Amino acid sequence: MKKNFSKPLYYTLLWVTSLLFFLPVFWIFLSAFKTKEQVVQIPPDWVFMPTFQNILNMLKDAHFLQYLSNSFFISLTAVTIAILVSFLASYSFSRFKPKGTDFIMFVLLSIRMVPGAATILPMYLMYAFFGLKNTYVGMIFMYTMFSIPFSVWILKGFIDGISTKFDETALVNGGSHFHIMFKVVLPQIKPGIIAAFIFNIIFVWNEFLFNFIVGGNKVTTIPVALATGVVSSQGIEWTYVASLSLVYTLPLIIAIYFCQKYLLVGMTFGTVRGEV
Amino acid sequence: MAIIRIEKLRKEFKEVVAVNDLTLDFEDSKITCLLGPSGCGKTTLLRMIAGLEKMTSGNIYFNDIKINDLPPRKRNVGMVFQYPVVYRGIDVYHNIELPLLKEGLSSKERKKRIYDVAEMVGIENSLKKNINQLDNATKQFVAVAREIARQPEILLFDEPITNVDANSKLQFKHAFKELTKQLKQTIIYVTHDQTEAMSFADKIALMNDGKIIQYDSPRKLYNEPETTFGGWFLGNPGMNFITQPCQKEDGQFKIKSDQFARTVILKKRRNIKGKVKIGIRPEYIKVSNEKLPYGIKSEIKRKSITIGGQYLLTIQRGDIIVKAKIPHKKGLGLSKNIWVEFPLDRITVFDNGNRIKEKLQYRE
Repeated sequence: MKKNFSKPLYYTLLWVTSLLFFLPVFWIFLSAFKTKEQVVQIPPDWVFMPTFQNILNMLKDAHFLQYLSNSFFISLTAVTIAILVSFLASYSFSRFKPKGTDFIMFVLLSIRMVPGAATILPMYLMYAFFGLKNTYVGMIFMYTMFSIPFSVWILKGFIDGISTKFDETALVNGGSHFHIMFKVVLPQIKPGIIAAFIFNIIFVWNEFLFNFIVGGNKVTTIPVALATGVVSSQGIEWTYVASLSLVYTLPLIIAIYFCQKYLLVGMTFGTVRGEV
Repeated sequence: MAIIRIEKLRKEFKEVVAVNDLTLDFEDSKITCLLGPSGCGKTTLLRMIAGLEKMTSGNIYFNDIKINDLPPRKRNVGMVFQYPVVYRGIDVYHNIELPLLKEGLSSKERKKRIYDVAEMVGIENSLKKNINQLDNATKQFVAVAREIARQPEILLFDEPITNVDANSKLQFKHAFKELTKQLKQTIIYVTHDQTEAMSFADKIALMNDGKIIQYDSPRKLYNEPETTFGGWFLGNPGMNFITQPCQKEDGQFKIKSDQFARTVILKKRRNIKGKVKIGIRPEYIKVSNEKLPYGIKSEIKRKSITIGGQYLLTIQRGDIIVKAKIPHKKGLGLSKNIWVEFPLDRITVFDNGNRIKEKLQYRE
């Protein structure tokens, strides 16, 4: 009897909590299809005639496409390079176990523990010195650098989980180390690659501080555009914020929806071998 | 297809000597089993032959060509590990095909080889299956098929049945035996399981502490162990050993023991220091309710049934306990007090752990 009562209560609680967390996202998505007046209305209108004018206005904005393409180009390029470099590094750490591997792995992860604000000033000075400010190379280089440590951690966990017998079989079968890496090990850590890719894309896609400080007009990504485009002569442009947020969030939501099973395996650093 | 010769091969891992100056010839197109307890160096030896482990010293020759520094990919060997090495995410066909892609074969030739080998191994109906759908035994067969399809000169097996469940193990053994009859390669099979070695091998190299204890046919190894280790390791249970004092009298060595109805002797002159070990396998011990001509009275302490249905008897003879294995039917009718005889032609005598070729005789 108690069991029958507690289960629905448990699920109701879960749903209420989930909805509470989802409410701001839901509100911003709805706002993208509202007029300026409807957006600020209290209590909010939950049932209304949607308008696509905000989206059309945004698409007409010449800068919007640049921001969007910047976000796509910088994040995809940086993360792809980071994954490739991380794969090579983690293969070496996992298989050749150079002296001090554990320490290097600790140092790698500790880089991610340093708050961005603490590194932004030296990074700014370096970027100014090397002339990398407001350049695609500079942005890609930075995000690659910040994506590598976490990717190495994830991928090393996955490669450790692949028995060295695979490497040895391939060696005996006539394979080189290059063949083993890319034809034997890489296909088997596909969940790890996808997980690392998604985690890093989320980080780079959402990154604001570095793009704001060391970026510029040419390399502005959507988070910076959101912050800088919020205020106009008529106050805060909530419809702009909402429609840009919608376009900005959708690619990530879609990617996460399709790759959620890999993320779960990725979060365990490959220690839990899910058949994905 | 290849004679493998190892010469004073040695492998040290820091202070541990895994392989201790071994010299051995593996016969061409035959199956040789490396048999021994865990940690005796058999896998290390196999890995050195495959080129996966560097030797500390010594030489390895394939057909009289020294291959010490040859990388594994140039040795033309195939190797199957304990753990079934199969590639996830692709079907059985592509698992077998993977190494063939590097051989520069046409797709027609590859297909022919894959279908031929799948039929030989008995996985022709699984070729289109995803590898994740298969049980461990079938996965291991895929690994075996992949190595055979490459047609290497030498095939190395490192305890391939260890990770297979008990039911599939038996099936694997039968299939593997049939398969090896068809293969022309020189095969080295590492195992710690004596029944595997006995059923597959043309010759067995018995190893212990990094050394070859004996290298013989399975029958000879079982019936004529050169050392007490061989007598103990082979058989289930192994040989019974009874240590007995041995005295020299009139040029003969005499063993006077209450384990024999009469005094037994070793006729030929030989230096024996004090004591010998008498070894007899449990299945060769004669037991009966009736008096045996050369038997002595003994008592059954324990009677249990083995997997094969035979009775395993724990018998007390004076202050010595021996194990005897007898057919089920005979065991049923045995009383507690029985007559037990050690047939002399079935006894192996060991001096200082090594077999004396001469057989025991009753003194006339």
